[in-house]
Amino acid sequence: MNKPVEATQMSAVGNKQKKAYSLSAFRILVVEDYPFMADLISTMLREFGVGNIVQASSGNEAREMIMLFNSDETSRNKIDLVLLDWLMPDGDGLELLKWLRGHKKDSIRFLPSVLCSAYASEDVVVAGRDNGANEVLVKPVSAQKLASRLLYVIDKPRPFLKVPGFFGPDRRRRIEEYKGTERRITKAEDIKSYHERL
Amino acid sequence: MNDSDGDKIEIFHRVNRLKLKAGASLHDGAGFIDSGAINRAQGIIETKQSLYPKIVEESLRKLEKSWNNFKTASSDELRNSSMEEIYHTANHIKDLASTFNYELMQHFAVSLRDFSERIDVTRKEHHIIVQAHNDVMWVVYNENIKDHGGTKAEELKLIVAKAIEKYS
Repeated sequence: MNKPVEATQMSAVGNKQKKAYSLSAFRILVVEDYPFMADLISTMLREFGVGNIVQASSGNEAREMIMLFNSDETSRNKIDLVLLDWLMPDGDGLELLKWLRGHKKDSIRFLPSVLCSAYASEDVVVAGRDNGANEVLVKPVSAQKLASRLLYVIDKPRPFLKVPGFFGPDRRRRIEEYKGTERRITKAEDIKSYHERL
Repeated sequence: MNDSDGDKIEIFHRVNRLKLKAGASLHDGAGFIDSGAINRAQGIIETKQSLYPKIVEESLRKLEKSWNNFKTASSDELRNSSMEEIYHTANHIKDLASTFNYELMQHFAVSLRDFSERIDVTRKEHHIIVQAHNDVMWVVYNENIKDHGGTKAEELKLIVAKAIEKYS
């Protein structure tokens, strides 16, 4: 039996009462060239309660969809999140990400994006982040993984940075300060002095 | 850090609209997705498992067609185009097999996908490697071999490994 997935994957002990999210107002774009996978992901999202799911089978089709739904900054029917496959024959996921992040409209360039990758290497995660992905989901897709990535985007949004050569979510994960009692046997000063003696 | 105009860093803290849209307030802590919904979503993968043989067969036929097109192609451009199809189809088979835990099929699909990225389409020896992948993937399908282990699986992996070693 699966446990409810939380973005932090931490115990609820000591936290405020957690809230069950309703995703019925969400519109998610699934960009996947393999129809079977596109349908599988869409069906799982529907089970999570996502109200509106749109599919695109290529980068070009995805651009058209995004322009259609998100060009009007004031629209209430905008796509809220994009799940995009890395490998596609007609313009890959990274190209689509670059297009998103380079767009002049805020409703497009800030669009949260989860990059799905068939490659599991760290390089892929880094490349995804360097191209502006909010999160990277390594395939195979499972319900737990998908829910976890959605919750990361909802609960842990990173500020966007614009620096020379990059626009996208901050690539650094926030380091949570340890608030528990000191349990180290060796003090930090002793470690420092040991290194200085070497 | 240089903060001249050219190297200026801008930070955008946006209102978390997704959280609001999910029915929470901005001050709420982390939320969750109902575990029943997650179980049902996982159940969908299990339900679709019965479709695997049919879908993987279609993909293997597509692979075979692209490979035949490759072999009869009259130019390197056409060969490259067919090889790109093989690359993407192998990646689809990988996605499919990994979703349903067909480890051996996943292994060969990854191997073919990665090899088709670095193939020299003009080298006949490289064609033998692609053919070896196609052949063993059909055997894996026809004999419904799921896992890595077992004598037959080891034998098939050895065939491909030897082909790669000899003809790369």
